[in-house]
Amino acid sequence: MIESYLIQRKGRRIRTAAAAAALLAAATVLPNLANAWSYAEAAAPYKGTRIVILDEVTPLQQTFAKLVPQFTEETGIEVDYQLLNHFEVINKGQADLLSGRGAYDGVMLHSAQTGLLLGANVLRPIDDMLADSKLTSPDMDTADFIEPAWSTTAKFNGTTYALPAWNYNVVYWARNDLLSHPEEQSNFKAKYGYDLRVASTMQEIRDIAEFFTRKAGEKLAGKTLQGDFYGIGLEGIKGGTTWGTVWNSFIKNWGGDIFDLEGNPRVDTPENRAAMRFWGDLWKFGPPGMAETSLLDVPTLMGSGVVAQAVAWSDFALGIDQPGSSEFAGKFAYSAMPRNTGYSGPRSAEGAPSIIVISKAGKNPEATYLFLQWMSDKATQTKLADTLGGGVPIRVSSWGLPAFKKSRHAQLYQAMEETLKYTQGKPRAPKIYEIFDVMSGLMQEVGLGKITAEEAAGRGQEALNKICEGKCTL
Amino acid sequence: MNDAKVTVRSKAGGIHPEHRFWYPYILIAPTMVTLVIVSLIPFLYTVYLSLQEAKYGQIQGFAGVDNFVTVLTDPRFWNAMWVALVFVLVAVPVEFMLGLTGALILNAGVKYRGLLVPLMFIPTMMAPIVVGLLWKIMFAGSWGLLSYNIFERFGILSGTSIFGSPSFALFGIILVDVWQWTPFMMLAFFAGLQSLPTNPYRAAAIDGANPAQIFFRITLPMLSPLLVVIALLRLIDAFKIFDSIFILTGGGPGAATESPSILAYKMVFEYWEIGEASALAVLVWLLFFAFCNVFYQVAKKKLHAF
Repeated sequence: MIESYLIQRKGRRIRTAAAAAALLAAATVLPNLANAWSYAEAAAPYKGTRIVILDEVTPLQQTFAKLVPQFTEETGIEVDYQLLNHFEVINKGQADLLSGRGAYDGVMLHSAQTGLLLGANVLRPIDDMLADSKLTSPDMDTADFIEPAWSTTAKFNGTTYALPAWNYNVVYWARNDLLSHPEEQSNFKAKYGYDLRVASTMQEIRDIAEFFTRKAGEKLAGKTLQGDFYGIGLEGIKGGTTWGTVWNSFIKNWGGDIFDLEGNPRVDTPENRAAMRFWGDLWKFGPPGMAETSLLDVPTLMGSGVVAQAVAWSDFALGIDQPGSSEFAGKFAYSAMPRNTGYSGPRSAEGAPSIIVISKAGKNPEATYLFLQWMSDKATQTKLADTLGGGVPIRVSSWGLPAFKKSRHAQLYQAMEETLKYTQGKPRAPKIYEIFDVMSGLMQEVGLGKITAEEAAGRGQEALNKICEGKCTL
Repeated sequence: MNDAKVTVRSKAGGIHPEHRFWYPYILIAPTMVTLVIVSLIPFLYTVYLSLQEAKYGQIQGFAGVDNFVTVLTDPRFWNAMWVALVFVLVAVPVEFMLGLTGALILNAGVKYRGLLVPLMFIPTMMAPIVVGLLWKIMFAGSWGLLSYNIFERFGILSGTSIFGSPSFALFGIILVDVWQWTPFMMLAFFAGLQSLPTNPYRAAAIDGANPAQIFFRITLPMLSPLLVVIALLRLIDAFKIFDSIFILTGGGPGAATESPSILAYKMVFEYWEIGEASALAVLVWLLFFAFCNVFYQVAKKKLHAF
């Protein structure tokens, strides 16, 4: 009898211990389950809201537009995702932000626009929403955003205004079939004393440009040329991104800049003059009409087989280097902007990190923030990369995705990855577009040989002194 | 002669509406109201903005004449005015002469005139962006249809391109404008020629006048009112040139093709200097106001137009 009592007591103890363990486990796991973050839950208070987002129309955004309905399915927030061309996005977007009308809840900005809009104080910061655990996923991982592009574009004076949207960047692009041709390699080595290869320095770009500039009737890779062939294609049109490329891909790689550390204009310096002279000198090896060559024309020159190398926006290279788009598809080589042998300081490359900001006049900041968070999160970025077969990443982890690693454009993506390590947003200069306009006009004249680099630097200094009337940046 | 005003009575016995003093104003009221809404009010607002300090697209305060001083002391403004002046002084006379010549040929009677006239009007009917893209393709530096296949092969302008050269770009724009607007001038003059009375020509034929005498003594004087109006309209329109420059050169190379319209566009949409852009617009209006007044007086007295 005592034995059965003891057995029963032991059983009760075991059952009691098991129940306690189960309760303890539940107490640990259930709260985590209850706290698991989801877009559906975060968006619950905003279900049924309609937001209007203005973005730029390129194949990237056109592909992303196909994914947008998934956000609506998940959250119940309706998104009117409007795509306009580059000029209209800038004009309409800025007009809406500056007027305070709030027609758009989110507006895409290139980094160059942020100076004007920060100065006008029309952008809504997102720090409060970033810190709100109900609105921000614990898996957001902002440390994964490609830097310095994000911070230099979206943050100012310690305040964050946006998540990254698109990281356009400029790369070096060359005809690999020409660089690897045995006869060309032999002739190049004989003339320049080193092996012909994808340029790893600015000076090599120049040598390659000179080497491959040939007249009709001469030989190129064993074939007789029917028309002239040129060593390099560069954007040279007034406005556009001409000045940005000269500034960030050339001038800064000479150790120069057009602003000093305080933001005062500093154009007429030896480094700037040397870089301008180098860039202008490359025009000798370019096709006629470089002064009208836009960022769209440069890829056309490469795709048509008119030039041997170019400095171009990587997303356009993606479009050209496709079967059916160019007879040279698959024969291109890419790298980050080469280094200048005469400068060992930080490297630089032109890029246009872009963000989608929330208008202060917008009526649905939280719903808009949720959309922008969804747009930038790892799952969406992975889906976008898979749908596009690549793209222009905003996250470091994206480079490891199969869409990039196993792509036929793997070399281009490596060039983009390298370039984005030192691509920065533009300084916060409210009058930056006026500066772009003046400086691109001066650089055209340098390229055309109408003025020297020294004159351009001098006139640029005068112009910026007049435009800025003191400090150029905020 | 009895100069007393005749008052016509309607069947009901009252004064006929046609003879009430307000009747003409009623008839032109819809047009005037439309002009006030779409022209006068925006213009007056532009004048208002030209006197304000506008930063970031927002009015900050009264600026007085500061914006005008800024514009008038800006070398870019004077360069833009020079570009517009050259453009107008070359393009409009060329269009005028070619248009008049073409109209005279059409009026003299050509085969298939009914088919030719609509075809010739195609350039004028084309959207400006299409015109710009078309000529960009024709003259693109190293791959354009004309520049590569014709110019480069025959060694004309080799090593350069029309729109990429500060010396040639403006003349390239002029060429595009002449191509687009000569048909308009031609058809307007042709319509005018068709409406001229035939009696003077019969009398001239009887008197033994030669073609040159007929043209200078009969056709030109009778056509002069139309010629003057069309020329004035075309001149005003040419000064405002924007579309083709925007598409083909963006105002470059340098500032070689930066017209007042292009400069104003940049000042508004790129620099957000609303006050200064408005001042530029008002200055251009003042210039044309003065010019049109002089033109009107000369045309009225010397050419019996208006």
